[in-house]
Amino acid sequence: MVFNSYTFIAFLAVILVLHNLPFSWKTKKVNLLLASYIFYAAWNPPFILLLWLSTVVDFFVGRALYTQEDPTKKKLLLIVSLIGNLGMLCFFKYGTFFLENFVAFTNAIGIDFHPAEPNIILPAGISFYTFTTLCYTIDMYRKESKPVKSMLDFSLFVTFFPHLVAGPIVRPPQLVPQFENPHAATQKQMLDGLLLLSLGLFMKVVLADGMLAGSADAVFNSTDMLTALDAWSGVFAFSGQIFFDFAGYSTCAIGVALCLGFVLPQNFNYPYAAIGFSDFWKRWHITLSAWLRDYLYIPLGGNRNGVRRMYFALMLTMLLGGLWHGANWTFVVWGGLHGLYLWVEKFVKDGRAANATEEDVVANMPSQWVRFLYALLTFMLINITWVFFRSGTFAKAWQMLESMFGMATEGKALLTSIALLKIVIVIPAMVMAHWLMRDKKVLDVAYQVSWWKLGLVWSAMILLLIWAQESSSSFIYFQF
Amino acid sequence: MLQKSISKAALFMVALVVLTTIGIEIYLRTHGVEISYDDGPPLWSDKRAMVYEPVDKSVVFIGSSRIKYDLDIPSWESLTGCHAVQLAIEGSCPRPALEDLANDPAFKGRLIVDVTEGLFFSNAPSNLESPSSNVKYFHDRTPAQRASFELNRLLESQLVLLDKEGFSLNARLDALELPSRPGVFMMPIFPLDFGRGTFERQQYMTPRFMADTTLQQKVIGVWNFFREAGKGRPPMPAEALAAIFQSVKDATDKIKARGGEVLFVRTPSSGPFWMGEQKSFPREKYWEHLLAVTGCEGIHFADYPAIDHFVCPELSHLSPTDAVVFTRHFVDILHQEKGWKFPKLP
Repeated sequence: MVFNSYTFIAFLAVILVLHNLPFSWKTKKVNLLLASYIFYAAWNPPFILLLWLSTVVDFFVGRALYTQEDPTKKKLLLIVSLIGNLGMLCFFKYGTFFLENFVAFTNAIGIDFHPAEPNIILPAGISFYTFTTLCYTIDMYRKESKPVKSMLDFSLFVTFFPHLVAGPIVRPPQLVPQFENPHAATQKQMLDGLLLLSLGLFMKVVLADGMLAGSADAVFNSTDMLTALDAWSGVFAFSGQIFFDFAGYSTCAIGVALCLGFVLPQNFNYPYAAIGFSDFWKRWHITLSAWLRDYLYIPLGGNRNGVRRMYFALMLTMLLGGLWHGANWTFVVWGGLHGLYLWVEKFVKDGRAANATEEDVVANMPSQWVRFLYALLTFMLINITWVFFRSGTFAKAWQMLESMFGMATEGKALLTSIALLKIVIVIPAMVMAHWLMRDKKVLDVAYQVSWWKLGLVWSAMILLLIWAQESSSSFIYFQF
Repeated sequence: MLQKSISKAALFMVALVVLTTIGIEIYLRTHGVEISYDDGPPLWSDKRAMVYEPVDKSVVFIGSSRIKYDLDIPSWESLTGCHAVQLAIEGSCPRPALEDLANDPAFKGRLIVDVTEGLFFSNAPSNLESPSSNVKYFHDRTPAQRASFELNRLLESQLVLLDKEGFSLNARLDALELPSRPGVFMMPIFPLDFGRGTFERQQYMTPRFMADTTLQQKVIGVWNFFREAGKGRPPMPAEALAAIFQSVKDATDKIKARGGEVLFVRTPSSGPFWMGEQKSFPREKYWEHLLAVTGCEGIHFADYPAIDHFVCPELSHLSPTDAVVFTRHFVDILHQEKGWKFPKLP
């Protein structure tokens, strides 16, 4: 079930009614769990078995990990959990990719190996719920939090429908305590949640699908060399589309959870206002960045074992982070490019820090305009990375880069005036909005304006949602 | 702003949304706009699921836009007493749908294939895209998508403004027809009154379209645009054409082997359009050869005095009143000449 569908609106209405009836807290939690399974089964019912398997295995393994004192047995249990979770992810998400690469390798060394083409369907949200359960078992191994006492609470933590399919990726301490005591939304939470849900749907349906998806698809699906104007417009359109699509989903998820009285962590914080790339990763898909930092970068050594090891850990984290997004080498290059940016940024920052006193740092604080220009530069460089993220092949990515940098001698004009106009209006408005909201929260701003102004903006969003009539298209991050 | 104020904002929003929606709905209805259903993959899939009805309860139609305009479904159903399952898709080649039905062992019914030669014998990706994506959608659709379709149907049956092709934000922006840079392909826009759609997937022209020759000329202009765009393309190689005939034969053989029945129909066109089609797609080489290769029955409008005289308002599709007449004669031909039996015509 997708948030931008009539089914979900009806589903949410039923859940809200059930959640506010005078049932016991346990009954309400059972309702939420059953609702979450229905939400998931509405895609492909058989895949719910995987979700159950993952839940049951990690509940018991997590508890055993916490209580087990024998280090060997403890490690063995951790390996069981890692193999279970990552094995499932590898089979469903990377099975075809591994096989293709294996075939390419065997053919390259002269072995004529042509297996039957596998037909593996990717279960929705597997990358997200695998990371959710993995962080639980790793935390249990490290004894960083206590095991969840009841199977019901743990199942709900893994399956809670607002975050199940595309995040935010939640940690046990962020959500499990909220299930321990009765939760119902206050009137303020309910209205805040509905406002966020409206905003998220507006971002997805009107801006991502209605304004930008068509141009991004046209440019990236084109087999022709394009003019620089068309190529850049397509890349800008995609950078807007992926932000509005994914941040829209996260905003809906946070809003829906809030309507039920639960708080989910923030996942986006105006990433296109980032000054530099470490800042970008603190603003883009924040829960994934934090997950990769805590469960990959730091275990790899982080910055505790010297500069070289730090650079290695950083690059490996970004490469694997890239691969998490999709089973294709283009995603690995996307991650690698971000890793490279982070290397350069770190190198420059460390160099400056070594030669500067605290007074120098304060005295040399750049002006707002200079900071804005840095943010623009960051945005432009991130756009280059999106080329690899969106292109299905390196040939296409290279063709796009050639078109963007004017290397195409006879580029084709592709986008219509109306398509260009949408990009010219939406993208600068998005960048400006990110810059102006950089250090603010959307709900804080909503509370600062007068009720009638907020009402006008809110109704404009809903009316545009109705007018767009773009319901039910899938979210991009579902495929990851 | 206090909590009380966000409640006020929410109430203000609800009032504005409800009033604006009602206002637009009333405006459209007072301007004579009628309900038209979004003819996307969900509606197509809803009809595709009906092909498993008993043989005497339904006839399946595939093809391009002509059969959608020319077959008047209420007339068909009242004359025959069986459903018309309309699976034709505008501007597209019906072969992917034919292959889908042929490869579906559960389909054993009666199939009528509308042949618009320029589309039926096309291998252009643009003509194959819609039917292929509809077929894929049907086979992949999730329980959630089915539920959304039912809810959407409920809303669409009540609100004129829910018409994606006519009144959505992008449809209105496209209708501005802003000129683009030289070399940019711009899909021509059909007037809203040319194609309204029923839940049964019948297309029809509105009375305003029938009365307004400017609108009719605009559609003729669209046909001319496509004709000009196709000029200079090399003719289809003989091997490619032969492969098409073979694929159609394979598909019809599969259906017939299961006890199904396939009949081809060439629906009317008129004036210079019909003359151009005769020139580009000589009957001997295409229509007659199709019937000979597949061994299926066919009904060509030019062979029957009762249906050979229609004047299409925009040269290619029948008016709603002519569609009723055409359907009546078409049922007669099927029953009397081709021996088809229907619950009301045993």
